[in-house]
Amino acid sequence: MNDRTILYIEDNEFNRKIVRQLLSRTSYRLKEAVDGEAGVAQALEAPPDLILMDVQLPKMSGLDATRVLRRDERTKHIPIVVITSFALSGDRERATEAGAAGYLAKPYSPRELLALVRQFLPE
Amino acid sequence: MLARSPLGALVRWVAGIRVSLHTKLMSAFLIVTLLFIAMAFVNVRTALGTATQSRQLDEAHQRVAWSQQIEQALARQMHFSVLALLSQDEAAIGKILRENNRFNETLAKLDAAGLREQHGLVEQVRASQDEAMSVVADMANAIRDRNLGNVTRDLLDQQERLDGEITTRVAQLVDTEQKRMASLRDSIASANRESLVTTAAFSAAAVALAWLCGFVISWSFIVPVREAQEFLTKIAAGNLSQRIEVRNGDEFGALAQSMNHMSAELARLDQIKRDAANELSRLNTRLEQASRAKSEFLANMSHELRTPLNAILGFTEMMVDGLYGELPDELKEPLTDVQINGKHLLRLINEVLDLAKIEAGRMELALREYSAAEIVASVRASLRSLAADKDLAFETEVPDDLPPARGDGGRLTQCLMNLAGNALKFTRSGGVRIGVKCHADELIYRVSDTGIGIPPEELQNVFAEFRQVDATVTRQFGGTGLGLSISKKFIEMHGGRIWVESKVGEGSTFYFSVPLRVGEATA
Repeated sequence: MNDRTILYIEDNEFNRKIVRQLLSRTSYRLKEAVDGEAGVAQALEAPPDLILMDVQLPKMSGLDATRVLRRDERTKHIPIVVITSFALSGDRERATEAGAAGYLAKPYSPRELLALVRQFLPE
Repeated sequence: MLARSPLGALVRWVAGIRVSLHTKLMSAFLIVTLLFIAMAFVNVRTALGTATQSRQLDEAHQRVAWSQQIEQALARQMHFSVLALLSQDEAAIGKILRENNRFNETLAKLDAAGLREQHGLVEQVRASQDEAMSVVADMANAIRDRNLGNVTRDLLDQQERLDGEITTRVAQLVDTEQKRMASLRDSIASANRESLVTTAAFSAAAVALAWLCGFVISWSFIVPVREAQEFLTKIAAGNLSQRIEVRNGDEFGALAQSMNHMSAELARLDQIKRDAANELSRLNTRLEQASRAKSEFLANMSHELRTPLNAILGFTEMMVDGLYGELPDELKEPLTDVQINGKHLLRLINEVLDLAKIEAGRMELALREYSAAEIVASVRASLRSLAADKDLAFETEVPDDLPPARGDGGRLTQCLMNLAGNALKFTRSGGVRIGVKCHADELIYRVSDTGIGIPPEELQNVFAEFRQVDATVTRQFGGTGLGLSISKKFIEMHGGRIWVESKVGEGSTFYFSVPLRVGEATA
């Protein structure tokens, strides 16, 4: 059994449900957070192996949370994939600047997401 | 200079008189004309006086002539008297009587024509003559009686005395007349001199007055005309709040008043125009704000639309992929339809979002190195299956030696994808070719098809927002009609341009050119 943990920080219930169901058939363990602050707290408390970070989050934006986690000793080695709902020029740059290892634009295909996860975290 | 002189005051006074220009001019002419009439009157009077005196001179001449005739008659009378006495012939007496008659007739004329003061002298002459005639009567008696010897000496002495008296008196008459004539001549000469002086004086006065009237009246016209010219020049230069100061009581004054009304009206209209322009600019600002707010709203709304769409597409894909277990065959097709329509909806939302971003001025290019060949390849890869489904040829043309390019590769891919997608959409048979080439320091992308083509009158509209060739095309082929206008904006943001060549029924070729290195100073 694989016990590698993925933390998904996302405020939308249905998007969390998709990822939850997508990963239920895999060996990854999923932890969820509904806002930036809670996500950062969870990541610092029990560092996961991969973080999926939505950009638009309540309390603290995904990019700010990414920056916080990049600076912290406990989490700075963890790859972070930023998921944005704006497929806009500059979003990828901003995500990279904030310290994201990967980037995915909404609406993403679950297939793509799974492929990306496997790229960072082989099963 | 004129303004401060007394003449200037006169000009202002004439200008201020409240009568028409016509009256002013006619008055000036009338004054000069009256002066000439007065001159003529004086001259006529002088001429009449001179004529009277000339007639009196002629009469005096006549009287002198008569006096001379009297003297001659007297001389002959004397001659015949001596002859009668010497020849003792009565016939000579008859001749004396004839001369006497002539003498008397002439004297009567002289008396009738003569002056009253000469009447006394004439009476004296007549008395002497009457006495001389009584001596002649004595002579005649003496001759008839043959008694001459005693009286001849006495009679001759009497005759000589009387002759001397008459001669002296006639000479007195002549002398008086000649003095009178001299005085008349002097008087005529002096009248002529006066006439000359009067004529000269009146002429000079008339000329001077004409000049003065001309000067004053013309300046009373020139001053307001100059003022008006200056005023109109300023008005023409846009200085509308001008006022003209003309104190003329004539048509020029009325004209100046009209001009002041005009400038006031112009200033009023100008103010209205300015107010309207301000109002317009204020409205324009508000409209721009409203338009920006609308675009912001659209951008936010698009994001809100995409979140549920993400869930719809995600769950559908997982169902199709069998994540929830084996999919019954009868559900495969409807679920694929859900996916196709969901993706279509997504594309529409993306286009609306892009346009809203561009209009809100929040669209920025992400400039970095890219490969034009890769763009063409990725468009081909994305659309290959669509071309294959429609059984269309789909070819690419890319030279091997393309230099590295700089720009927003993602947006340029979007543009080429849009053009190629349209080309495939509007082509039923034949094929689509996409390509790129480098020309000078520009990259020219090209998409040609063998599709339905675009009518010439629609060519300039194809890049306008929400435009497709006609509404039925939209229903038949789908699309928002935003793709081309968004592509155009991205290309223009790169500093490039997009254009199309097309023939109805034969196909269209779309081109767009962008600088090879965007955002770098060209050498």
